[in-house]
Amino acid sequence: MRLLTLSLLAAWPFAGWAAAPTVDPETGLATWQIETSGVQVRLTQISPDQARAFYQARGFSARAAERYARECVFMTVVRNLGDTPIHHRLADWRYLHRGQRHPLRSKAQWAAIWKRYGVNEAARIAFTWAQFPATQTFAPGDWNQGMTTYRVGRGERFDLEVVWRIDGKPFSAILPEVHCAPDAA
Amino acid sequence: MPLTLRNTLAAVLVPLSLALSASPASPATAADLPPLSHSLTAQAAKPAPGLKLKDTDGKPHDLGQYRGKVVLVNFWATWCPPCRREMPSMQRLKDALAGEPFEVLAVDVGEDADTILAFTSQLDTALAFPILLDTRSRAMRDWKVAGLPTTYLIDKQGRIVATAIGGREFDHPEIVAAIRALLVK
Repeated sequence: MRLLTLSLLAAWPFAGWAAAPTVDPETGLATWQIETSGVQVRLTQISPDQARAFYQARGFSARAAERYARECVFMTVVRNLGDTPIHHRLADWRYLHRGQRHPLRSKAQWAAIWKRYGVNEAARIAFTWAQFPATQTFAPGDWNQGMTTYRVGRGERFDLEVVWRIDGKPFSAILPEVHCAPDAA
Repeated sequence: MPLTLRNTLAAVLVPLSLALSASPASPATAADLPPLSHSLTAQAAKPAPGLKLKDTDGKPHDLGQYRGKVVLVNFWATWCPPCRREMPSMQRLKDALAGEPFEVLAVDVGEDADTILAFTSQLDTALAFPILLDTRSRAMRDWKVAGLPTTYLIDKQGRIVATAIGGREFDHPEIVAAIRALLVK
């Protein structure tokens, strides 16, 4: 077990608890999970091969799928385990990599990329719905999953700052030391 | 067997002297799939958007034709893991309410009938409810769906009265009871 430090942004009311990653013995892919104040966030590595295969099966060209697989991809799950609705906005999330805080690439930014790559409409629709929602309200018991991407090199590490709101009040927690799946996971 | 990690209390920074209650996160294994929930979120009744789509056999369906029935409208796709997992439970729900004025409409986003059939034919449970094709994702937009799966419960007057974001066990007694309560109204 590792003691992991969670941080709070100044004046933000809660932090949460994270565990060391668990590793799927079959795939070698790791999962990080944090649970705090009734909110659970889980990130599971998606290997480049999995990303390529998924999008090529949805109509992406090999070139476009390769473009996506160049990013560090995670299956991301947010679950409301509490008794109050939580409001999520992916644009509020940040990842800290090599001392810099970065926003996540939005669906709109991806859409511009896919336009350049000539990705067809059916594939773009699948892409849109396969990504983690840009905004969503989670009632108690609600949860969702989707892909999030990070411009981080293979095997490199970053801290993910997850943000949500309850009654307009912002909360955050950090998943520390998340690392990008290697190319041959 | 996947590694099981017991979470540890994390060290927490407590700015502004905010005291935080501490609880360990639940153990997680990488191979675990997020559990399905069994809650429906009641909401003030509001008219459901229109829904006019063809099913996988080419038969047209209009939600308006289901007036007088309670309808479960589920937005999904075959590549969405929680959607796949909850699908058999919708059939079990339909079976549990056989003979009642109740219907399930599953709305697939962006896929064709062959793709859907390839998935449903693998299920142990034969699905006896219509699967509608929202090939261009327009119904999803009309219904303001943010992520998959999302489910709406429609009362006999054609109003949305409850929602569920994320995968559910739809034949859970709590959900069956909630629908039965609507059926007698």
